[in-house]
Amino acid sequence: MENNTISKRSIGFGLALAIASIINAIIVVVKERNDAIMNGMKKITGHHWTTHSLIVLVLFFALGGVLTLAKGGRGFDMSAGRLVGIVTSSVAAAGLIIVGFYLFGD
Amino acid sequence: MVEVLLMTHVLFGVACMLAAVWLFVDVLQISDANIVRVRVVSWLAAAFMWVAFLAGGYWYVTFYKFDKAIILKGPWKFSHNMVMETKEHLVIMLLLLATYLPIAASEELASSKGARKLLLWVAALVALLALGMDGEGGIIAMGVKVGLLPK
Repeated sequence: MENNTISKRSIGFGLALAIASIINAIIVVVKERNDAIMNGMKKITGHHWTTHSLIVLVLFFALGGVLTLAKGGRGFDMSAGRLVGIVTSSVAAAGLIIVGFYLFGD
Repeated sequence: MVEVLLMTHVLFGVACMLAAVWLFVDVLQISDANIVRVRVVSWLAAAFMWVAFLAGGYWYVTFYKFDKAIILKGPWKFSHNMVMETKEHLVIMLLLLATYLPIAASEELASSKGARKLLLWVAALVALLALGMDGEGGIIAMGVKVGLLPK
C-alpha cells in the first residue's frame, strides 16, 4: 500500500539542513564584511574556515536533534513535498548568496 | 605527502558523486530486493564525503597558502578570489547534504512515495554540487599552473 509519510527524524534534520545552509551563507557575508568577526573566528581555531565549518556542523546536528524531539518528542508534521521545497530552496538560496557575494559583493 | 592528501580529497569527492548517482538510479528502481543496498550506498556516499572534506580541509588550512600566493601572482586571480572562495563555503553545504542521505534513506522507501521523492532530490543535489566542486577544483589547479608558467 503506497503512502506519502516521512519520519520526524527526516523532517527535523531536513529543516536543520535548510537552516544551517542559510546560516552558512550569512556567516560568509558577515565575516567577509567585518574584520573583527573574521579575526575572532581565526583566533578560535587558528583558521576562520575551520571555525566556520564547526559552527555550521554543530548547528546542523544540534538543531536536527532539537527539531526531531520538538513538541514533546512528537516532532514536526510536514508533507514530503513541502520538506523537499524547503530544503531545495534553502540550498539554492544559500548557494546564490555565496556565489553572488564573491561575484559582485566582495 | 601533500599530493597524496590532495588526491585523497579528489578521489573521495568523486566517489561521493558516483555514489549519489548510483543512489539516485537505485531509488528509481526501489523494491525489497535493493533497499538494503540503497541504505549501504547512502552511508558510503556520506562517508566518502566526510573523508573528502577532512582531507581537503586539512590541506586547505595547512598548505593552500602556497598555491594561493602563486595564483595571486599569476593571470588567473579569479581562481582564488572567486572560485576557491565559493568552493570552500559551498562544500560545507555539500557535507550537510551528504550527511543527510543516510537519514533520508532510513525511511520506508518501498512504500512511501514522499520518502523516495525526498531521497531523490537530496541525492541529485549531492551529485550536482559534487560535480560543481570537482570543476572548481580543476579551475583552481589550472590557476596554479598558469601562475607557474614563464611570463
